[in-house]
Amino acid sequence: MATETVLGAWVAAGLTLFIYSFLYKDNPLFKLGEHLYVGISVGYSVVLAWHEVFVKQFWTPLSKSVVEAPADPASYVLLIPAVLGLLMLTRFVPQIAWLSRLSFAFVVGFGSGVAIPRTVSSYILKQIEDTVNSLVPTGDGGFSAFMNFALPQSGVNTIILLIGVVSVLFYFFFSVEHTGPGMVTARTGIYFLMIAFGAAFGYTVMSRMSLLIGRFRDLITFSGAEYGYATLVLLFVTVLSLAGWEVGARRKGGEG
Amino acid sequence: MKDFARRMVGIDRRLIFLLVAVAVLFPLLRPFGLPIKISPEVNAVYDYIEALPERSVFLISFDFDPSSKPELEPQGIALLRHAFRKNLRIIGMTHWLTGTGLADSVFSKVAAEMGKERGKDYVFLGWSPGGGALIISLGQDLYKAFPSDYQKNPTHGMPVLEGVRNLRDVNYMVSLAAGGAGIEMWYVFGKDKYRFEMAGGSTGVIAPGLYPFLRSGQINGLIGGLQGAAEYETLIGQRGTATAGMDAQSATHFVIIVLVILCNVFYFVLRGEKGRSA
Repeated sequence: MATETVLGAWVAAGLTLFIYSFLYKDNPLFKLGEHLYVGISVGYSVVLAWHEVFVKQFWTPLSKSVVEAPADPASYVLLIPAVLGLLMLTRFVPQIAWLSRLSFAFVVGFGSGVAIPRTVSSYILKQIEDTVNSLVPTGDGGFSAFMNFALPQSGVNTIILLIGVVSVLFYFFFSVEHTGPGMVTARTGIYFLMIAFGAAFGYTVMSRMSLLIGRFRDLITFSGAEYGYATLVLLFVTVLSLAGWEVGARRKGGEG
Repeated sequence: MKDFARRMVGIDRRLIFLLVAVAVLFPLLRPFGLPIKISPEVNAVYDYIEALPERSVFLISFDFDPSSKPELEPQGIALLRHAFRKNLRIIGMTHWLTGTGLADSVFSKVAAEMGKERGKDYVFLGWSPGGGALIISLGQDLYKAFPSDYQKNPTHGMPVLEGVRNLRDVNYMVSLAAGGAGIEMWYVFGKDKYRFEMAGGSTGVIAPGLYPFLRSGQINGLIGGLQGAAEYETLIGQRGTATAGMDAQSATHFVIIVLVILCNVFYFVLRGEKGRSA
């Protein structure tokens, strides 16, 4: 196996164990892993942004177009977004910070213009359209299709959806006091919200456990002989270091 | 009973961590082989790809970074294996700058395994800034949005992109997303405007929020989390890391459900105690 692969396995296993050592308590190994993570993430993003944005999207096409057609004003068109980008950095100089508003005005204006119609169409109109399905059974299947909970567009699901949408909207409608029938509707809305929160929590647990499984799977892989028993050696080192740190901290506490 | 409940409620949480760790580790070392049931939303993605004619254009966007790798990488691998097996032309890209290297390595690995050639059978375009604006740009002219691929090869004239001008020429699209810059963005700025069929693969955390899109038909299928990946692996008949992790997933879920029930029982036993002591 390639040396860099084995080295990578040792680094990955070590940092995983260092980060998980926080489950015991906050300690210097965790701090080391945390700081390395933050630093490497930022460094990696900066290097990628340099190559993928500055070099690939700006410098290479600009220099190419200028060399090919220096007299053509269109060759310099990339300078416009570059200047707008540079103007954003004037936020750091209070005397000329106002110049950054030009760039922000462009970003907000363009962003709103592009996003608003599409967002209204996708998030509001399409969703409302789906809320007003036919309540009576249509097509094949008749009553059994109407009662089919597994079929998203079935009548019974449409009714549940309608009750859910109306009651949750009413729950967030504070201009009317929630008494009498209003209280029943608002309560129904709360139940729908609770079910939604429960589903979201369940999925979140599943997701977090998947990440844990992923790390454990890697740790098991790296504990093999081909990786030099990286996980086992580093687990021993981590436990020993934590024990040493704990003993040191207790002695220090005793002296204090 | 109350003393026991009081002791249990105040238990050292590190014991719970240990319990969860054992629940993960044991099934990974000794799998039980629990059956995997295919959900309609995952089946819909499989069926759509299965029905595509050879050399159709399949766009897959790896909209995640290494922090979501355990859930979304298996989905990506399974989808790529299926698409390569169907002999589709695959266009890959990402909206997540820090996921570029990971996405490229997945493409290279699966393409090598399936004997596919870069530039002829697939292309990985890499990352470009813009998010929604980039999708609109792709909808107008793919070659202006990505003049070169991740390997800096010019996209113009690539055999894999023959006849492809923009997103309207894409037959099917799947975004594997770990956040907002993914499925929803592809729908809002892509499908809704340029009218191509699309599905999503997501982390478990964002999956519940995508079901309204699935119900309304805005996406035609959804692969949710590790479970979804395992279902897709089962459908293509190639068991991978997701299937291997499902026993551990079920075991940890069982432990968590038991802990939630026990905790509620203990709190029920101790109900009102705080009020009386105060």
